[in-house]
Amino acid sequence: MRVVIEFKNASVTYRGGVRALKNVDLTINDGEFIVIVGLSGAGKSTLLRAVNGLVPATEGSVTVDGREVVGASAKDLREIRSDVGMIFQTFNLVLRTSVLNNVLMGRLSMVPLWRSTLGMWPEEDREIAMQSLERVGIVEKAYVRASNLSGGQQQRVGIARALAQEPKVLLADEPVASLDPVTSHIVMRDLQRINGELGITTFINLHFLDLARAYGKRMVGLRAGELVYDGDIADVDDTTFREIYGRAITPDDILETKE
Amino acid sequence: MTAGARPAPPKKSVRPYLVAVAVTAFTIFAAKEVGLSLSQLTENFKTGRDFLARFFPPDWEWAKENVPGPMIETIQVAILAAIIGCSVALPIAFWASKLTANNKWVYYIDKWFLNVIRTIPDIFWAMLFVTGIGYGPFAGLLALIMFSLSIMGKLLSETIDSADPGPLEAAKSTGAGHTQAVQASILPQVMPNYVAYALYIFELDIRASTVLGIVGAGGIGRVLEAQRAFFRFDRIMAIVIVIFVFVFLIEQVSVFIRRRLV
Amino acid sequence: MTEVFRDSEEPTARPEPRRGAKWTRWLIVAVLVIPAIWAALGLGVSLERILSAPADMWNIIKAMFPPDFSSKQLGRTFPKVLESLYIAWIGTMIGALFSFLLSFAAAKNLSPRWLTFIIRNLFNAIRAFPELLLAFIFLPIFGLGPWTGTLAIGLHSIGTLGKLSSEVIEGIDAGPLEAIDSAGGRRISVMRFGVLPQVLPSIVAYWLYRFEINLRVSAFLGVIGAGGVGAELVSQLRFRNFPAAGTVLLVTIAVVLVIDTVSSMIRSRIIAGKAGEEGPTELFEEPSTVGVL
Repeated sequence: MRVVIEFKNASVTYRGGVRALKNVDLTINDGEFIVIVGLSGAGKSTLLRAVNGLVPATEGSVTVDGREVVGASAKDLREIRSDVGMIFQTFNLVLRTSVLNNVLMGRLSMVPLWRSTLGMWPEEDREIAMQSLERVGIVEKAYVRASNLSGGQQQRVGIARALAQEPKVLLADEPVASLDPVTSHIVMRDLQRINGELGITTFINLHFLDLARAYGKRMVGLRAGELVYDGDIADVDDTTFREIYGRAITPDDILETKE
Repeated sequence: MTAGARPAPPKKSVRPYLVAVAVTAFTIFAAKEVGLSLSQLTENFKTGRDFLARFFPPDWEWAKENVPGPMIETIQVAILAAIIGCSVALPIAFWASKLTANNKWVYYIDKWFLNVIRTIPDIFWAMLFVTGIGYGPFAGLLALIMFSLSIMGKLLSETIDSADPGPLEAAKSTGAGHTQAVQASILPQVMPNYVAYALYIFELDIRASTVLGIVGAGGIGRVLEAQRAFFRFDRIMAIVIVIFVFVFLIEQVSVFIRRRLV
Repeated sequence: MTEVFRDSEEPTARPEPRRGAKWTRWLIVAVLVIPAIWAALGLGVSLERILSAPADMWNIIKAMFPPDFSSKQLGRTFPKVLESLYIAWIGTMIGALFSFLLSFAAAKNLSPRWLTFIIRNLFNAIRAFPELLLAFIFLPIFGLGPWTGTLAIGLHSIGTLGKLSSEVIEGIDAGPLEAIDSAGGRRISVMRFGVLPQVLPSIVAYWLYRFEINLRVSAFLGVIGAGGVGAELVSQLRFRNFPAAGTVLLVTIAVVLVIDTVSSMIRSRIIAGKAGEEGPTELFEEPSTVGVL
């Protein structure tokens, strides 16, 4: 099994002294589907963003496919990021422009700067973007302005954008937190399918425990910045969650009872 | 996932190209009319430097004697104009809003009135009043009242347009008369905006008041014009610096108060 | 009175009204009335003068009608009004260009603190000078004529547009920027795809709004000889040629109204695109009805 992401004693300390991640050791292999759970503020977002350097680790080492993220130069960082796709809770689309243009942004690191700036994307990159849209089943909306789409559709565009990078790793930061239950399941199934069909290593931050149980294959639990659980999803039960959370489960932690 | 068919890309439109060409052509034409030329600019910079030497050092001795009086006059005009203008603008603004106008006629006439008033720059008002009632700060006062009125009228009526009509309906349903209902329901809603606008207009009035005198409306402007006729640029520089400092201070205070309002 | 709802067993006492309220009202009245009286006394404003003013003004207005619509007068007025238009246009362009470039340096979310401090205060310093004052200072340097007015308007507009533009830039959603970053995009791409689409509509709308205002400004800058229709108004008033003055005013008002209306229409169309309505997604596309749910 090839190691794709590796955290070695990684810590993140913010400028005010807040320690968001403490001495995390984590090894992720090629093709895995991993969910991260933990209370808000436990460090889930930080862990995810440490992978592509959006939040740089202040100590220790974080490598992606053998390349070190901590202390990487701007150019190296861009190269690493081009292999790591990311989708966000708030979708982060450029609302004023078309779906296709949003997906094309995934090709930014592969296309010469002058071409992308002038909007003269090469034919093969357009083809890749279109195929990504087909893969998430939303290609008929390619020329629609992004702001005209529903939340679930926007997230699928976000996924297409990440897919257009032809990434090795897919990071998802609370991808369904802004969506209703039905759409949430659709998106999670999409991510599951992409992991299965394309073999892209998937690393997901989830707030809702029932979703974690339903879709995750391996689960990582964070509490106050520390890794407190790392195991197969089959071994997880309610007591596991209680240990990770440090408190009893409430209805807010389950998707199905969300209003 | 059922894959939809790929849509056809939208047709490229010629319109933006036409607009860009038209705008560029107009700009080049206008630039020529206005006398824009790089050589002229550099030429003038050279002569300009000599002139600038005439601006410094500022004549503070003379300024100490001759600036405070007219400055105070300028400030007085601005204060009074702001207070009167903004007060009178209150009913005018309410009449200019579909929500609170008493009837359709009042609304249309008032809106038309405001639109016309707004197109006349404050300096033109000043010139008109100077012609009508003679030189002096009084003309400037009237001009600025019209100026303040027009701006407050427009700003406030637009705010009223976007106010919550609910309380007004509620007030009317209790049987209150129109004016009473408006006073009780809409006026409190727009009060914070009104005060913010008034402060902003006061800032504008101070700035405008300093220059209105150039056309004869009294205050420090008149002194500026006189000094320009004598080519005393060093004195003009002193005045300009004083004006600048003053305006800057008032603006900072105003911004500070307005920020705390919101 | 029968009680309908009760939170506790104890009888509730009536609360005291807030003590500050009455006091602040008097304070506000004092802040307004005292300066007003001081100003009024200082200026020698008396009720008599206020009441006689409308009558005097009415005489002037009467003298302006009917306005002198002779081809001679119109032939004098129109070119001057057009000159004001050109001055306002070029002045706004100068202001737009330089303010746009500088506004990025002045935006707190894109630029280091020390730089934003310098540029913002530069904007404030420029803005403190009314255009008339700037034109005044430029006259001896650039001479009489439209170029002086253009420069004065241009310089002042850099200040006002700069402040407004930098505020627009500071108000953008950082999300799309993060997305482009995470995909490996460079700084230029973040600007081109993340920042520009978010800020351009509002900034261009401000340019148009400024143009509307600058048109009025250029009209009166002529009063001190900086080009435009102002000089014409001054000379007609000085010679007490009221019908001609009336013409000048009316033509100016008419042109300003037309430009205002057109500009408002364009502005609302630009902003409307933001609300997610039907419309082209790229600058060079025709509006289409493609696939809105």
